[in-house]
Amino acid sequence: MINQTVHTNARGLEPFDQVYSLGYEVGHGDWSPFPRVNRLRQTFLDRPFNIDIERFRNVTEAYQVYEREPVKLRCAKAFESILMNATLYIYDEDLILGEIAAPAKASPQYPEFSVNWMLYEALYEPFEEREHDQFYFVSEEDRQEFIELCKWWQGKAVDDQVDAYLDDDQLKGSQSGKKIFQTNLYHYGGVGHYVMNYEKILRVGFAGMAAEAKAGMARLSKKDPDYAEKKVFYEAVIICHEAAIKYIQRYAKLAEEMAADCTDPARKQELEQMAANCRQVAGGPAKTFWQALQLFNFATTLTQIESNGHSVSYGRMDQWLYPYYEADMQSGEITKDFAQELLEVTYVKMNNPTKIRDGGTAKVRQGRGFGGECLTIGGVDRDGNDATNDLTMMLLDASVHTRMMCPWLLVRMHENTPYELKVKTVECIRAGYGHPKIFNDAPTIAAQMSKGMPLEEARDYAIVGCVEPNSPGREYGWHDGSYINTVKFMEMVLNGGRCLDCGPHCARWEKCGALGKALGPDTGSLETYQSFDEVLESVDKQFDYWVDQMCSTMNIVDRAHRDRKPLPYASAFFDGCLEDGVDVTAGGTVYNGIGPQASGLATCADSLAVIKQLVFDEKRFTGAQLLQAVKDNWEGHEILYALVNSSKVHHFGNDDDYADELFRFMFECYCRHLSGRPTIRGGEFTPGVYSVSANVGMGLNTNASLDGRKAGEAISDNMGPVHTRVGSHDICGPIAVAHSVSKVDHSLATNGTLLNMKFPQDAVAGVEGRDNLVSFIDEYLSGDPMHIQFNIMSSETMRAAQKHPEHYKDMLVRVAGYSAYFVELGKALQEDLINRTELSF
Amino acid sequence: MNGIIFNIQHYTIHDGPGIRTELFMKGCALRCPWCSNPEGQSSRIQPGVYQSKCISDSVCGLCRTVCPQEGALLFADGKLTAIDRAKCTGCMACADACPADAIKPWGREISVEEAMREIRRDKGYYDRSGGGVTVSGGEPLQQAGFVEELLRACKEEGIHTCCESTLNVPWEKVEQILPWTDLFITDIKHMDSAVHKDFSGGGNERIIENQKKLVRTGKDIIARIPVIPGVNDDAANIEATADYILEDLEGKVRTLQLLSFMRLGEEKYRSLGMPYGMADLKIDRPEFQAHVSEIADYFNSRGIHCLVGTREKEES
Repeated sequence: MINQTVHTNARGLEPFDQVYSLGYEVGHGDWSPFPRVNRLRQTFLDRPFNIDIERFRNVTEAYQVYEREPVKLRCAKAFESILMNATLYIYDEDLILGEIAAPAKASPQYPEFSVNWMLYEALYEPFEEREHDQFYFVSEEDRQEFIELCKWWQGKAVDDQVDAYLDDDQLKGSQSGKKIFQTNLYHYGGVGHYVMNYEKILRVGFAGMAAEAKAGMARLSKKDPDYAEKKVFYEAVIICHEAAIKYIQRYAKLAEEMAADCTDPARKQELEQMAANCRQVAGGPAKTFWQALQLFNFATTLTQIESNGHSVSYGRMDQWLYPYYEADMQSGEITKDFAQELLEVTYVKMNNPTKIRDGGTAKVRQGRGFGGECLTIGGVDRDGNDATNDLTMMLLDASVHTRMMCPWLLVRMHENTPYELKVKTVECIRAGYGHPKIFNDAPTIAAQMSKGMPLEEARDYAIVGCVEPNSPGREYGWHDGSYINTVKFMEMVLNGGRCLDCGPHCARWEKCGALGKALGPDTGSLETYQSFDEVLESVDKQFDYWVDQMCSTMNIVDRAHRDRKPLPYASAFFDGCLEDGVDVTAGGTVYNGIGPQASGLATCADSLAVIKQLVFDEKRFTGAQLLQAVKDNWEGHEILYALVNSSKVHHFGNDDDYADELFRFMFECYCRHLSGRPTIRGGEFTPGVYSVSANVGMGLNTNASLDGRKAGEAISDNMGPVHTRVGSHDICGPIAVAHSVSKVDHSLATNGTLLNMKFPQDAVAGVEGRDNLVSFIDEYLSGDPMHIQFNIMSSETMRAAQKHPEHYKDMLVRVAGYSAYFVELGKALQEDLINRTELSF
Repeated sequence: MNGIIFNIQHYTIHDGPGIRTELFMKGCALRCPWCSNPEGQSSRIQPGVYQSKCISDSVCGLCRTVCPQEGALLFADGKLTAIDRAKCTGCMACADACPADAIKPWGREISVEEAMREIRRDKGYYDRSGGGVTVSGGEPLQQAGFVEELLRACKEEGIHTCCESTLNVPWEKVEQILPWTDLFITDIKHMDSAVHKDFSGGGNERIIENQKKLVRTGKDIIARIPVIPGVNDDAANIEATADYILEDLEGKVRTLQLLSFMRLGEEKYRSLGMPYGMADLKIDRPEFQAHVSEIADYFNSRGIHCLVGTREKEES
């Protein structure tokens, strides 16, 4: 068999073919062989999601004190002030120190980005009363202080600048209007979505970073017209990194004090070692594996203290961490068991950061974790050879031993991925906790090269967040920049530029319909198209118009971040910034894209198939009849409604070229309109095709569609086929879906594509089930798709969890690029997950 | 040449090794009451009724408009509930007309070339997984000519082939496909021919003769026992089966698979207006599964490689 040809000697803690479990098991909380890890995990799960206002208070005071300083210095000094005043926490049994200037699992606030929604929700839509993603004030005093702090910030935040620039054409399409595109994430919060250069920080330490900034400052010449701005930038970097040193020393001191008071000799020794680790990495490089993990955690949490941008991803951890593991194993400094325990403690710790999102964002992007902490393992090295090592396997062991939301583990695969790694990956997948996801090297490397990277660099990609390819430490890609609801603007295609429900009930009626205007350009309607080509041309024109609105909006948002919230701490971790004295938010690094993603492509493809088949090919219905049916939300059109949901109409996902070609049209049309557009930072827009969980929230705002979807139902998820209330449109099994999805050139989607598959447990049972899944993945990847992930979870189990959430508190399900605790999701998203086709065999 | 199938299933992993494409052929002479593919019994194409999908006679009624037989379509509360099989000519006009998949055509004609086009699509998956093509049914050897051509075409393209058959056919039919078949899957339902005839409508003499002959050809064989409570799970029959495998079949069974009785296919019986013979059977599932495991242990103790389910390998 082909899949058994390449082998590796790399081994994790356990045999590569260790069987863990098949699907979720109720009441099982001790997956790790390390009791400490199991206890830390349980402690995390039992903690509440609190709101912690300490950062809010500290950043506000600092901004008031430094109000007249240049913005970069104000940001740096506020950062320093937060670090010097933050309460420090060292938790029982923990081995890795550092939180995000808040207690574990409590959410700090970042008023630099936005406060209007915070104030509104604190006053009128309490966080604790949300349907999902609730957060809790610890006291009424805190709530009052929170409200007062918000008031000071009004008008000063990033979003205030964005709002001041937006015109009505941009607003009408945005989350403030008809939600054709949603730029919420960076409109109201930090950007994140990058991989810092961990190799470098471990090698040079914070003192090295500060020294590099000082050297840059020394090189500056007053002949440079940007001299002043660059000088301020370097000063800001130095302040931040020297503050980091002092902050870590505070931890060292606290650990020393706790060690002195500790009566348990074993714990005392651990505290002393942690103190010593902190003393070393406060300014210096990491000298041991433990110190490397400690410095990694400080570097990461500090960037999350500077900004609440999520999806700060860990890069190729099995690669950058390996030298420290290898050296310690060789010198006998560490045992494999303890190295494993440290990895698992670090994993649990990665879950601590949480983030309150505005209510609107929370609807489309559910989950209270900071989110997006993708950890990449496997793949090829810069020379194209397989990069698997012991840590690759150990990081998988750690994942199946902890089974938590974070990290979002990802295995890169290529044609020479060793059999042992594939089997271990599948063993984790079939344990049914939603990790890991799989990425395919060939199309992803091609996508990276199309951004202008040389082959060696492209091979070194890591994934950010869900599925976004990124060059660590060299790409500030604004991945996940915006969500575009293609089904919503398909309404304009059908209806002469108007929404299907255009009428006086609409909040925009007075500015729009009442004046005889339409929301979008009139590019024809189902009543006027004479040929199917005219329909496709109309789609193309709507894409052009709405992508214009979205991209120009994104550039406004981008500009506001540069103006109001530069990131001097993070900038040091990106190639180019310290060399040139330019902040990462101002285009200081090498690759400067913005990556918005399309949602609902299959819904559009199936809708187009209905038009093509029923109106133009078979001529069974007129365009006007179809238009009326969706305007009426299918009421009174029962025959047509049944027909478009039946096997008699072509649907995407069945290896049926008729519909698959239309999916390809949508995919390529979107990528074509996005690719090559310039960003304000000197990069290019990068298209992605994935929806995370936004397909559910977007569906709520979208009228009926011709694929047989009623108003309010979820639109299709990611690259997946349609499933409506009547049933799933893919009925030919997983290989047909794989074939359909592989008919598009995934490398065009330089911001990533995503495919979910739900397999029943018995399809992956036994040695045969495992081997068949390995073979399936192998053959699927040979067709050059970018990504796949699996839910090994039956609908019955999810229904049981809805009924008895108390028994399923730690049950993870794969939502999109990430896994989430099922019982914490909103009802609509839960239903969407249950309804996704469970492929049967 | 054309055959009549009632399904082509992709990524099937239960009937033979690896990832397979399975063709289910229509027509079978036996009438085992636990049969989970009742739509495979008749060799004719039949309409199946799915009442819950029917829009309603008054709103839609397209099936009635096209049906040539007055009164063949039976409605209750405005929904199509059944078809009077005595009146139905099997013209399938109703199924063609139905917009809602409420009338499913059980069966369609397919040419070897058409089938091969579907089969070829997944070739990469067979190659990776050690899979291939399985013909099943119904009794596929009732259409031995089609099966012969299809399996030959598969072999010519290097695809592994498997035939799941009752072997309740003249030996010539088996011989016909022998050169093109890598693996056979066949049932041993009961060792007592009278009992066999009692529940399945046919005795086991020809089956046993064919199985013995098949063993002598040296072909790989997976034998299966559908373990049905109160029918064939008693110690005497199990012991007789073990004797039969070891003596008459010379132990040359690659794997003996025990398929525990499952209540499968009930909705398909309903769609065809056929009574489900096992409707009244009540079993205590955990107790029954333990019993089936004991049977497997017994076979293994006799030196027969036996597993519960459709697997061939033990979990490590």
